Amino acid sequence: MIQIEDLEFSYPGAEFRLAVPELRISHGEKIALIGASGAGKTTLLKLMAGIAVPQSGNVRVDGVPMRELTDRQRRNFRVSRIGFVFQELELLEYLNVLDNIVHTYRINRVLKLNGRVRERAAELAEAAGLMGKLKRMPRELSQGERQRVAVCRALLPEPGLILADEATGSLDPGNKSRILGLLFRMTERNGATLAAVTHDHELLPRFDRVIDLSAFRR
Amino acid sequence: MFISFSWRRVAPYVLFLTVAATTGQASAAGSPGLKIVAANYPLAYFAERLAGARARVVLPVPTGADPAFWQPSAETVGEMQKADLILLNGAGYEKWLPQVSLPRLRLANTSLAFRNAYLRIENAVVHSHGPGGRHAHEGSAFTTWLDFDQAGKQAQAVADAIVRKRPEWKSVVTGNLKPLLDDLAGLDAEMKQTVAADFRRPLLASHPVYQYLARRYGLNLKSVHWEPDEMPPAAEWSALRDLRANHSARWMIWEAQPAREIAAKLKTMGIESVVFDPCANRPEDGDFLMVMKRNMEELKTAYR
Amino acid sequence: MQHDFYLAWRYLRHNKIRSLILAACLAMITALPQALHRLLDEAERWMSARAEATPLLVGAQGSAADLVLNALYFTDAPAFISMGEADRIAATSWADPLPVYARFRVRGLPLVGVTTDYFVFRGLAPAEGVLPALLGDCVLGAEAAERLKLAPGDVLPTTPENVFNLAGVHPLKLKVVGILAKSRAPDDRAVFVDLQTAWVIEGLGHGHETGPGAGWADAAFAPLSGDVSAYTEITPDNLASFHFHGDPADFPISAVIAVPRDVRSAALLRGRYPDSEAKTQIVRPLDVTRSLLQNIFRIGALFDAILLPLGAAALLMVALVFALSLRLRQREIETIHLIGCSPLTVVRLMAAEIALIALGAGTLGLVLVQAVRAGAAEFVRHFVIA
Repeated sequence: MIQIEDLEFSYPGAEFRLAVPELRISHGEKIALIGASGAGKTTLLKLMAGIAVPQSGNVRVDGVPMRELTDRQRRNFRVSRIGFVFQELELLEYLNVLDNIVHTYRINRVLKLNGRVRERAAELAEAAGLMGKLKRMPRELSQGERQRVAVCRALLPEPGLILADEATGSLDPGNKSRILGLLFRMTERNGATLAAVTHDHELLPRFDRVIDLSAFRR
Repeated sequence: MFISFSWRRVAPYVLFLTVAATTGQASAAGSPGLKIVAANYPLAYFAERLAGARARVVLPVPTGADPAFWQPSAETVGEMQKADLILLNGAGYEKWLPQVSLPRLRLANTSLAFRNAYLRIENAVVHSHGPGGRHAHEGSAFTTWLDFDQAGKQAQAVADAIVRKRPEWKSVVTGNLKPLLDDLAGLDAEMKQTVAADFRRPLLASHPVYQYLARRYGLNLKSVHWEPDEMPPAAEWSALRDLRANHSARWMIWEAQPAREIAAKLKTMGIESVVFDPCANRPEDGDFLMVMKRNMEELKTAYR
Repeated sequence: MQHDFYLAWRYLRHNKIRSLILAACLAMITALPQALHRLLDEAERWMSARAEATPLLVGAQGSAADLVLNALYFTDAPAFISMGEADRIAATSWADPLPVYARFRVRGLPLVGVTTDYFVFRGLAPAEGVLPALLGDCVLGAEAAERLKLAPGDVLPTTPENVFNLAGVHPLKLKVVGILAKSRAPDDRAVFVDLQTAWVIEGLGHGHETGPGAGWADAAFAPLSGDVSAYTEITPDNLASFHFHGDPADFPISAVIAVPRDVRSAALLRGRYPDSEAKTQIVRPLDVTRSLLQNIFRIGALFDAILLPLGAAALLMVALVFALSLRLRQREIETIHLIGCSPLTVVRLMAAEIALIALGAGTLGLVLVQAVRAGAAEFVRHFVIA
């Protein structure tokens, strides 16, 4: 699914540098990314998503060389093939739960919002335990419920690759387990690949593989 | 050939004039009627003779009331406000004028032409009782139409006022004015002729309403202030005797037939009664001209 | 595009107050100049109509503007002429004279003495009751009746001008006999009496009742003469006693509306003034009004000069509010960018919000302008010419 070779990346004007000689993630694999703070976990996810572009090296997602795409092509690829669950990706406070879930379909013309998509959104919400709250506004939800809405939003396009960055970060153990369980269920159901950054070592056994980025930072 | 050519040239003008004349008459006939209110009967009579069926002439004073001492009600004033023309006698006749609201533009003072000839009544606050209640004759004398020359001028003023409102009626009104003026001139001549028999003959008047009659026709007239149907008190009889001391009149002119007892008592004093009805209100029978002619005949009795 | 507007609508609805304030501000910026110009246009139209309906005006020598304002709008009379002026005009046969005596006020409203012809001239007819018929009657303009809360049959006492002037104006109990139909003209705010009633109030006429039954007048300002008393209430019993002293031709009026027969007559009449003693003048109200309106037009230009920078400042404020709003929504923009929204989409979303606010502002502005249009006549009548 993901192939990274001789990747080198640094932020302009910053000392940070990420170098990944080789990394392969197979279809359907559930990978946990760990490492010290500043090791480049989030950066690696952004490189996989095509949000950031490496100065050298290759990132191929589903065989597509991300570095060779234009910004627009990367964006469209990202919208249709990759799902994000980032902690700082907020819900839109002025949209209800259902509108938040289908939001990606409203802002990108690559995706078409139709009745089937709305049905799928409702199914996802039901799977996430959000049925009956579709008309609620985000301020009426708990932190765990908000995170579940974010997960549904990420999963609605049925992406082949799901990238999660501290998706359970500030939640209580019960909710952490619930969110992770949801991610795993949806990933397995769609046959998707999951790469998740987590600091929670208690959750590591649930992943197929754990990659420590400390080894890649120079 | 020459004649027929001329006829062709003239014919359109003849046709135009015929049509114009017909249209004029038709429009005169078709003009909206005039509602005229008159302050007294002589003016109403003049208006009726001048405008004929084209006008509706209204005398708002109730039958039998003296228009000079009549006070219109608010409702009557409201009706008068709707008139096209309001004929006033002038010379202070309409004492109610300062107390009512009437459209000034539709008022016509018919005695304006001889306002410099009004007769002032000096020391005239004389109260007497009568059908009109307490009243006084003060200011100007107002029975202007009893001078038939002035009556003619008032008739002329009425004609002018009607024509101002309806210019298209000018020919009709002018046509009607001439016989009316002739009638009034006839009365004037007849009065002069009657009085000419004895200019200095002393006469008495029961009521001070004959000032213009006396002036125009040179009557040697003195007035008391009596009503035809009210026996005067003793003081009045005494005053009459005093008056006759220097004015040996044998005839008293009355506005209406005096009560029998009054006439009888006068007769005992050697005074006969004749009626000269000023005709200020509409008579029960006849019209203004007939009443004046009757007055003339009565007066002739006093000059035999 | 429908999604852009849907999201924009959702955002604006979520931030109702901010959205309404923005829309209201924009509406005010766009509507205010139009509204002001509408008011000015209405003032011009209204004043011109009143002036056009009054062909010529004869009054005392002096300010033509004051003469016009007094005769047409019943403001304070600067000076007076005599009734004889109306008689002189009538005698020429060039014009019909309509005397007006707008000197007094009763409870803050003009008390105007006219003849019955005035009502015909102005097309005023009673909606209730009748026109004045007898001395002491009055008829109220539609607004005057509302303000005074009077109806036909009620009594309206006039106001003494000077408490200490025993020889001055006599308060009189007027009898309300009618209320005029609304004319949307200054006549609506006036109390009309017959000219002769106004002269009675002036003290030029009075009534008497002699005899042992005569009593003192119930007003403190009634003069006494001998054993008669001057009444301050005209009743059916004393009406016949009312009379005037002096020549009515010398009695005061504030102006004569002259309605000429034709253009030639108008020219001939105008040629008569100013008179040989330069005590009277004749004016064409339309000319005077146009001159007054020139000042209004200057005010209009002043409005524009002030409103332009004001509008620009307001627009800058609105732009600042938008910019600040964008800063506050930075995280939202980052989010949608990360999940696949192009920069152009962000611009489209902002544009949709602006479009919706503009639509709201436009609608509100239209409503405001329509409201001003509907109420302009009343507003002008109340506030431009009081």
